[in-house]
Amino acid sequence: MSDKKQQVSRRQFLNYTLTGVGGFMAAGLLVSPIRMAIDPVLKETSNGELVNVGVSVDDITTEPQRIDWTVNQVDGWYESEPSRSAWVFKDDNGDVVALSPICTHLGCVVSWEGSDQHPNQFFCPCHDGRYEKDGTNVPGTPPLAPLAVYEQEIKDGILFLGNPISRKGA
Amino acid sequence: MKWRKNDMEQYVKAKEYIDTVIIPLIPFQMAKDQELSKDSFQNEALALFLTEMEKELSGRLLLTPNYHYIKSTNLEQEKGRLNLWIANIQEQPFNHIFFITFDPKWKKVERELDGSLIWLPGFPTKDLLSNDVLQMVRGQVTEISELIRSYW
Ligand code: FES
Repeated sequence: MSDKKQQVSRRQFLNYTLTGVGGFMAAGLLVSPIRMAIDPVLKETSNGELVNVGVSVDDITTEPQRIDWTVNQVDGWYESEPSRSAWVFKDDNGDVVALSPICTHLGCVVSWEGSDQHPNQFFCPCHDGRYEKDGTNVPGTPPLAPLAVYEQEIKDGILFLGNPISRKGA
Repeated sequence: MKWRKNDMEQYVKAKEYIDTVIIPLIPFQMAKDQELSKDSFQNEALALFLTEMEKELSGRLLLTPNYHYIKSTNLEQEKGRLNLWIANIQEQPFNHIFFITFDPKWKKVERELDGSLIWLPGFPTKDLLSNDVLQMVRGQVTEISELIRSYW
């Protein structure tokens, strides 16, 4: 009786194992063509870390607009960093500028014209920090450095953003 | 800020700027099969909401670790334990204490808590990373930040 039981479970074990191996092999076969197909894309994001943020350059005006995007994470580990934001606009030369919205004082999120008293500036709601349109901190308000600027690239009229680069204080 | 090493080191240096606390109140249960999926989803949704919320106002806001309690518990007891948390938090110069929860039961004891209760209606149980849910979370974050700012 107990022998038989063992046999069954042994067969089951083998069965599982084999299915497992087979499954792996199948996955391997399946993965390669897909990998080949998306490899260029993967390379691009891992080298420069530039992400398509879903905005076409034609839609960017001189008025800063907030864009949000999610950094793709394989397993939805959303507690770490699900989303990023930027304030995006065209400067006087028509060049695209993407500023990090993180206040350089203690890290709240700033808004364009977030205060009625201060038009044409970024405003931080936490301690009334202010920045000029180009991100330069306004002296006399708590922040001591300008807003960080995102690495950027424009491909086929679409904006790609990378990491925010900090700048030295004004 | 969150209750983690780097943030707390910064807190000690800049505490005059951080005057607001949020305590998440989260029910926990393992006893009822039918409600496990819904309850745990609300837990995940609240975590997502709080992460976004904390980012928005992190320079002035401390998000404490979650306050968990058994879902079916008598809040009369919890109220006392929660007020102990608050007494401890108030050893520091905080001016505003908020509780955030999906659990409507807290409404009944709201007045006996030393802080302001923010009750959020739960999210529909869906894929947490779907665009709908993210949009909804963002909408709520904007609203609740405005609410908190109105106390400043
Ligand atoms: S965090 Fe922006 S002014 Fe303090």
